Amino acid sequence: MSLARSLRAVPIFMVALLSLLLGGCGYNDFQRLDEQTKAAWSEVLNQYQRRADLVPNLVATVKGEASFEQETLTRVVEARARATAIQVTPETLNDPQALQRFQEAQGSLGSALSRLLVVSESYPTLKSNQGFQDLRVQIEGTENRITVARNRYIQAVQQYNTLARSFPSNLTALALNYSIKPNLSVNNEAQLSQPPAVDFQKK
Amino acid sequence: MMRSPGLACSVLRMALWAFTLASLCGLAYGQALQAIPPLSARIIDTTATLKTEQVQAIEARLRAFEVARGTQIVVLMVPTTAPEDIADFTQRVGDAWKIGRRDIGDGLLLIVARNDRTLRIAPAKALEGAIPDLAARQVIDRTIVPRFREGDFAGGIDAGLSRLMALIAGEALPEPRGAGGTARFASDWTDALVLLLVAIPVIARRLANWFGRKLACLLTGLGAGVLTWAAGAGVILILLSVPLAVLWGLIATMAVWRVHPGRQHGSWGNPNGRSGTWSEGGFRSGGGGNFGGGGASGRW
Repeated sequence: MSLARSLRAVPIFMVALLSLLLGGCGYNDFQRLDEQTKAAWSEVLNQYQRRADLVPNLVATVKGEASFEQETLTRVVEARARATAIQVTPETLNDPQALQRFQEAQGSLGSALSRLLVVSESYPTLKSNQGFQDLRVQIEGTENRITVARNRYIQAVQQYNTLARSFPSNLTALALNYSIKPNLSVNNEAQLSQPPAVDFQKK
Repeated sequence: MMRSPGLACSVLRMALWAFTLASLCGLAYGQALQAIPPLSARIIDTTATLKTEQVQAIEARLRAFEVARGTQIVVLMVPTTAPEDIADFTQRVGDAWKIGRRDIGDGLLLIVARNDRTLRIAPAKALEGAIPDLAARQVIDRTIVPRFREGDFAGGIDAGLSRLMALIAGEALPEPRGAGGTARFASDWTDALVLLLVAIPVIARRLANWFGRKLACLLTGLGAGVLTWAAGAGVILILLSVPLAVLWGLIATMAVWRVHPGRQHGSWGNPNGRSGTWSEGGFRSGGGGNFGGGGASGRW
């Protein structure tokens, strides 16, 4: 009788042990950091979206400048169309290729925008246009927020990956099939390693 | 974290490896970024540009604003932010100081890099609605920069702060907690603990001089109960606080502990000791400010 009772207690004991082990091997940490990376990613998307929302206004303002370089303008419009066409949900976030495409699209929008802002410097009417200057401040602020949001996402992923790769929590990751998350990278690495070409000859 | 004892050795080895790696990485990472000064006041001028009385005036203004509205504003003036630009430097300062009330996060930074001739206004996320990037830019361009161009740093900062305070005043932020102290006990457990550990023995000892030891401890216990009740605590907590305070009072008034009666009396003299975030001399960050990169930069 008492043996049967103690045998019945075994599953309960096993469950208690398992939950202790899971807690000890970072199961809860995985959940917490996973949520943290998702939240950080949402903030990244949020800020990219804000930039994409500002672009049409900017384009409309610049179009008022009749002599504006059409090529620069169309590049911005096209880059925005491409950037907004690629949607990255937290689920596709684990796919390095999708992340890469998303980054390239957003990166080309960023460079097209900065090119437009640089070119606009040589148009006095644009420079004195208050609406354009206001949009410019907002775009600069958004770019800054994107940088911060990306930075926080990178840190969140780094924490998650550290947990997934370090012992003993890597065993939990192995058992429950938690893979390492791809992190953001600089997409024009080759370009950045070149020293900037400064040409004082023009103008 | 619970770990199986059999793994302790490998864990230790991993920790050693991790430490070595971390220190190596630290060497590689250690670029000469500008050090962030400790948060010692509401206005910190490491360039010694402002006169002492100007610093005091601005400090007083910022303190008055914090008392009235709760929002923490800090002005930092540094020589340069190189090798970073001012936005990155401000972000680091914001992340390090986290100024703004803990549960509201309403902090605002005004950073001036004098030799770079740049400045930045950075609201924490809670204030991004009150001070959008455009508003920050307008304050910089229209209010601060014209005065800075004439070399009037104190005037520029002061006028800029007026505009920023007006913007914040327009935002419906929660009122600051009462300065009475009792309201803080309900949420702030460290205060309650400090009260339990420091105030009770001091009060009990003082009362013991007048009423005798046992009566004094009973009175202290009742007082603690009333305080807990006033702070809005539950029945269990109130019932628990009375005997605890009596017990602690009894221990504190024991003969052994009365060797240096004069020492405690001195520390009781400061009426501001329990006021929390803003005591007269020092300044403490609320720790709630989350800086998300908002705000605007400018140059003069």
